[in-house]
Amino acid sequence: MTTPIISLERVSRVYDMGRVSVPALDAVSLDVHQGEFVAIVGPSGSGKSTMMNILGCLDRPTHGAYRLAGTTVAELDDDGLARLRSRSIGFIFQSYNLLPRTTALDNVAAPLLYQGVGRVERARRARASLERLGLGDRVDHEPTELSGGQQQRVAVARALVTEPALILADEPTGNLDSHAGAEVIALLRELHRAGRTIVLITHDAGVASSADRQVHLRDGRIAA
Amino acid sequence: MNAVELLRLALSRLRMSRMRAALTMLGVIIGVASVVALVGVGQGTTSNITSSLASLGTNLLTIIPTTQSSDGSTSLSLEDAAAIDELDSVAGVAPEASTSLTVTAGDESTDTTVVGTTAAYASVRAFGVWQGTFLTDVSVVRDLRVAVLGASTAETLGLDADDLGTEISIGGIPFQLIGILQPKGGSSFQDQDDQVIVPVGTVQKYFVGGDSVRTIGVSVAPTADMTAANAEITALLRELHELTATDDADFAIFDQTQLLAAASSISGTLTLLLGGIASISLVVGGIGIMNIMLVSVRERTREIGIRKAIGARGRDILAQFLVEALTLSLLGGLIGIAVGLGVSALIGQLAGWGFAFNPSTVVAAVLFSLLVGVVFGVWPARQAARLDPINALRYE
Repeated sequence: MTTPIISLERVSRVYDMGRVSVPALDAVSLDVHQGEFVAIVGPSGSGKSTMMNILGCLDRPTHGAYRLAGTTVAELDDDGLARLRSRSIGFIFQSYNLLPRTTALDNVAAPLLYQGVGRVERARRARASLERLGLGDRVDHEPTELSGGQQQRVAVARALVTEPALILADEPTGNLDSHAGAEVIALLRELHRAGRTIVLITHDAGVASSADRQVHLRDGRIAA
Repeated sequence: MNAVELLRLALSRLRMSRMRAALTMLGVIIGVASVVALVGVGQGTTSNITSSLASLGTNLLTIIPTTQSSDGSTSLSLEDAAAIDELDSVAGVAPEASTSLTVTAGDESTDTTVVGTTAAYASVRAFGVWQGTFLTDVSVVRDLRVAVLGASTAETLGLDADDLGTEISIGGIPFQLIGILQPKGGSSFQDQDDQVIVPVGTVQKYFVGGDSVRTIGVSVAPTADMTAANAEITALLRELHELTATDDADFAIFDQTQLLAAASSISGTLTLLLGGIASISLVVGGIGIMNIMLVSVRERTREIGIRKAIGARGRDILAQFLVEALTLSLLGGLIGIAVGLGVSALIGQLAGWGFAFNPSTVVAAVLFSLLVGVVFGVWPARQAARLDPINALRYE
């Protein structure tokens, strides 16, 4: 068996709220292998968001070990985390999180800016990524000129442009109508078929069912 | 990210909110423009004073009497002047007996200073002759009634080259016009071009009486030291006036170079003071930049969160906001320099000392506005760089 892309080993995240400590994640262990499509499902307050922050290297575990694509996250400083995010993770957020008043092309090219890729090469790769998602005629549009479904597809194009080891989607259909939502799910399945490793975080059992494997979170623990 | 990428990012951001960028820059523009304009005006004044003092002659010592008797005669005489002329360190001596009289030529008349002096006056006071001739030794020795007019006096009386040899009236006495001086310009102290020059003996004979003089101008030889010449003349005059070691001198010697140094030092201090006051407004402009950058960091919290999530390090965010502040201050600085140079050129034109472009002022203004950008941009940029990406992404 190959080394997993994601390896969580008894990971806890405890929030210090003054007098009391609140454990949002409690000794969670989880492996995700290359090419898997995993859904992390749970109601609000189950620790989903904390899980997302840990997996996305936006936060560090309080206890336990997290290895992403062979790198031990706990050993990294803030710059190291930023580099790891830049290199290994493509984010898809519920609220798209595109840069405001910035064209689709520049939005998709932005992650490459922080990898130090030159301007011409950035534009070329961003355009290719947008064209793959059927947005070739929308490169010069700003987010406000695009529909919700189109904005989310721009966000997917941005997540893919760096060819990351992991696609991390946080409630990607939450702000979309059912039709556009279904399109995004179909898109994720297509990426999965193309060999991408995808972790989908959602509260929606219907959305979760599109993944190959479901991990249920409840009160900061894996339920099943 | 390299500097070009950062600059491109900053410029595209500033284009998004032109009005805000323009208003933010306005503070720096006003600050830099007033520094550049006031320093320009100060330097214009300095060079104006310096050049008009230099036109009086830089190797000039002026001796004036410090006592005067009731009949108007002074302690300085033509004999003193002749004795000083014998010194090796002295190139020329021009005793001056002057008075104020009405000069008439045809229907025109004017009140002006009539200076009785010798042929050496032109070289001692650095005057050139424009038309005709200056006083000669012969005309001085014989106390001839000949007159040389200053350029503006000649103009007032409507006299030019054609009128040489004609008769003019000074204090009711006829004189022959033999020459007109070249104008010196420079109007800071007194108009050196408004005077009538006649032989010293003539003034004493017709107008003032006695044989004392008001001033002795001494041109020190180029090879001689001003201070040494000063001391030599002092010693000579004390001896001639039979003063003992304890007596106060009945004359005073002014050194033109000392006056020059004092005047430029005063005007230099004034320039510094003006520039200092103006730079306060530059600091206020810098605070304006800091204010708007802090607002901008707050408004763009979510953008900062997004950028961090997609791989921006703290220092990338810091650089982005710092370069934005620097762009504002530098752009404001450059516009301010243009405005400031325009204003000082205009003032120079109106005041008549011309426009002196000083590259060091421009360089200093650019550096200072960059400094303002760094000082007032660093704090907001650090605030942006320190934002926690999780909170920043949730910020509405």
